[in-house]
Amino acid sequence: MKRRKLALAVSLLALLALVFASAGAGRTVAHQAAFKVAWIYVGPHNDGGWSQAHDQGRLYVQKMLGSKVQTTYKENIAVGSQFNQTVASLAAQGYQMIFATSYGFVTPEIAAKYPNIKFEQATGTLVTKNVSEYFGRAEDTIFLSGMAAGYASKTGKIGDVLAFPIPEVVRHANAFALGAQYAHPGATVRVVWTHSWFNPAAEKKAAQSLVAAGVDVLGQNVDSPATGQYAESIGVPWVGYDSNAQKFAPKSWLTASVYNWGIYYLQRVKAAMAGTWKPGFYYGTINDGYTKLAPYGPGVSQANQEKIAAVEKKIENGTFYEFTGPLYDQSGKLRVANGVKMDVLKGGTNSLYGMNWFVKGVIGSPKG
Amino acid sequence: MRISVEQRLRRPRWLMFAVPLGSVVFAFLVAAIVLVATGHDPVSTYRQLFDAAFLQRQSVDQTLIVATPLAFMGLAAAAAFRMKLYNIGAEGQMYLGAITGAAAGLYVGGRGGPAPLPIAAMVVAGMLGGLAWALIPGILRAFFKTNEILTSLLLNYVAGLLLTYLIFESQSYWRQTKGFNASVFPTGKQLPHSAVWPGWTLHVQGGTTIPLGAFFAVGAAAVLWILYRLTRFGFEATVLGDSPRAARYAGVRIRRKIVAVMALSGSIAGLGGASQVGDFSHALDGDPNGLQKVGYGYTGIVVAALGRYNPFSVVLIAFLLGGLENAGNTLQGPGFPAGLVGVIQGIILFSALGGEILTRHRVRITRRTKPTKAAASATRSPEPAT
Repeated sequence: MKRRKLALAVSLLALLALVFASAGAGRTVAHQAAFKVAWIYVGPHNDGGWSQAHDQGRLYVQKMLGSKVQTTYKENIAVGSQFNQTVASLAAQGYQMIFATSYGFVTPEIAAKYPNIKFEQATGTLVTKNVSEYFGRAEDTIFLSGMAAGYASKTGKIGDVLAFPIPEVVRHANAFALGAQYAHPGATVRVVWTHSWFNPAAEKKAAQSLVAAGVDVLGQNVDSPATGQYAESIGVPWVGYDSNAQKFAPKSWLTASVYNWGIYYLQRVKAAMAGTWKPGFYYGTINDGYTKLAPYGPGVSQANQEKIAAVEKKIENGTFYEFTGPLYDQSGKLRVANGVKMDVLKGGTNSLYGMNWFVKGVIGSPKG
Repeated sequence: MRISVEQRLRRPRWLMFAVPLGSVVFAFLVAAIVLVATGHDPVSTYRQLFDAAFLQRQSVDQTLIVATPLAFMGLAAAAAFRMKLYNIGAEGQMYLGAITGAAAGLYVGGRGGPAPLPIAAMVVAGMLGGLAWALIPGILRAFFKTNEILTSLLLNYVAGLLLTYLIFESQSYWRQTKGFNASVFPTGKQLPHSAVWPGWTLHVQGGTTIPLGAFFAVGAAAVLWILYRLTRFGFEATVLGDSPRAARYAGVRIRRKIVAVMALSGSIAGLGGASQVGDFSHALDGDPNGLQKVGYGYTGIVVAALGRYNPFSVVLIAFLLGGLENAGNTLQGPGFPAGLVGVIQGIILFSALGGEILTRHRVRITRRTKPTKAAASATRSPEPAT
C-alpha cells in the first residue's frame, strides 16, 4: 500500500513539474510592426447592448487596418483595482492604446502611472496629456426613436426603463420624451429605475410594472434586450437602445438609437499610429456617423419613417435641436428660456452633462 | 473485484497537505480537459497563468492587490467555518466595513491630527461595521436557529444595495457633491491624505508595494491562530464545531459562542472592507460595476476551504488564488473566455470540498477470491461441542 501511495505522489509531482517546466513553445511572437490597441468592457462583449456596440467598433478597426494593428479586448472588468490590474498586464504586453468604455475606469493615478499609453475614456470628463474623452449626441437619435414611439402609441402613454438617476440617463430619457411629444402631442413617458446597467431580470420586472400602469409602448436606456423580449411576448411595440436588437423581438421592434463607435475608433487609432494623436473632448453627432437610427421594424409606417427622416435632416443641418428652449420641468417651471440651446458642459444643471431634472410629461422622479 | 468506501481509523498528517494539493491538481486536470475541448493548449495556458501571476514585471504588486482582500475574506470565512458556522456573508460584511471605515477616515482625517489616528479609526470602525452586520445572522442563528447560510447570503444583497444607495442615489456624507465632475457621475468623496493607508515599497520587479492591509491580514491570521490553538475560547469553539452535544455537556455556552464567532468573522471581513477603502480606492466605491462586481467575499470561501481553515494556510492560498485572478485578467481576451478562471476556481472548490471525503474515508479495492474446498472446510464454523 505504501509503495502505491509513493508512486501516486511521485506521478503527481512529475505532472506538476511537467506543467511548469514545459518549454516556451507556446509563446506567440508578436508582430513587431503592429500597433497594439486594447478595449476594456465593463460587461460581456456580446451583451446585445453597450459593450457589444463597442466590440463592433473594435472589429471595424481590425477589419480596416488588418495586419497593421493588433486588437484585443478584456470583458467584465470592474471599475477600480481590477481595471488597474488589466492595464498593468496590457502594459506589460506592450499595448500602446486603451479604450476604456465605462465611466470611472480611467483615474488620474492610472494615467500618470502609464504616461506612454494613450487612454480614451468613454462618457467621462477627465482630460490630461494622455487621456482623451469621447461620447456623443445619442440624445439626437434617441429623440428620433422617441418620435417612433410616439407614432406607435395609441393612448399616448409610453414607458421607459432606466438604469441610474445620473445626468446621462436623465437627458436620454428627456430626449425620448421630447421626441414622443413631438410626434404625439400630449404624450407622457412613465419611467422605472432598475439601478443597474445590465440586469435582464430587473428590466423585465420594470417593463411588466410599466405595462400594468397602462403604457402601450416600451422604451429603454439599459443594456439588455429583456424589455423587448417581454414586449414581444405581449405584443407591445418596443424601442431599443445601444444596438440593433431586432432579432430579440422581430414584431415589436420599432427602432433604436445606436452608436457607431467604429468611425471614431478608426480615426483615433490612425492618429495614434501616425503620431498626430491629441487628447480632447469629442462629442459625436449624426453628421460624423457617430450615432444613427437602427433599421425600422414592421411597426413603423412609411409615412412616419419619412417624417422622422425629415427631422433627422433638420438636426443634421443644424436647423433643429431638441434641447432648445422653451423647456419646462415636471413642476411646470420654465428651465430653459425660449430660443436658448442647452450646451454640453456649460450651464450647471441646464447643461447636458449636468441635467438632473425631467421635462414636463415625464412621470417619475429624476432622483431615483 | 470490490470497491468499498470505509471510514478511516486514523487521520494521518500527510493527508492535510496531500488533499488540498491533490484537489488543485485534480482541478487543473479537469480544467485542462475544458481547455482542450475549447481549443486551447492547457500546458502553455498554465505556463502563461504562472507567468502573469508571479513572474512578469509588477505582477506580484498586482497579485497583492487581489490577495489582500482575499486573505481577509478567507480568514473571515475560516474563523466561522471552523466551528461549522457557515458565514457566507463576508461580502456584505466587507461592504459595511468599507462604509464605516470610509466614514471614520473622512471624519477623523478631515479634522487633522497625527497620522496614525485616522488609520486607527478606520481599522476600528471597519471592524465594528462588519461585526454589526454579522450580528444579524449570528443572533438569528443563536436564538432562533435560523439558517445562517440563507440570512448571511441574502444580507449581502441588502448591503450591496445600501452601498449603491449611499453613492448613487443620495446626497450622503460619503458622496462627493462639489465640483462639476461630481454632478456628471456619482462618486465617493476622496479620503484626506492622512487617512490614506501607506504601503511598503520594495524595489523588486520594477516596484512592488505591499499594502498596509496585507500586514493587517497576516496579523489577523496570527491572532486567529493563537485564538483557536491556545485559548479556551478557541478550544470551546472547536469542540462546538465537532460535536454540539459534547460541547453542551461540557458547559459551553452555545448561543454566546455562536454570536461571538459570527462577530469575530464579521469584524475580520469588515477590516477587509476598511482596507479596500484605505489601501486601494481611497473613497467609498458604491459603483455597482466596482467593488460589488468582483466578489471577493465569495472567492474567500474557496480560499478558506482550500486552506482547510488554518489561518496561515489561508493567507498563503489567498496569495496563490490572488495570482490566479490576476493572471486571469491577463489571459482573457477574444480567444480565451473570461469565465474560464472562474470555472477553474469553482472546480478547485468542488475538488477541495470533495477531497474532504478522502480525509475521513478511504477507498479500498479488494479482490474477491473463490474459496477452495479445503479452505471452505477450514473456515466453516466449528460444530458446537456436544
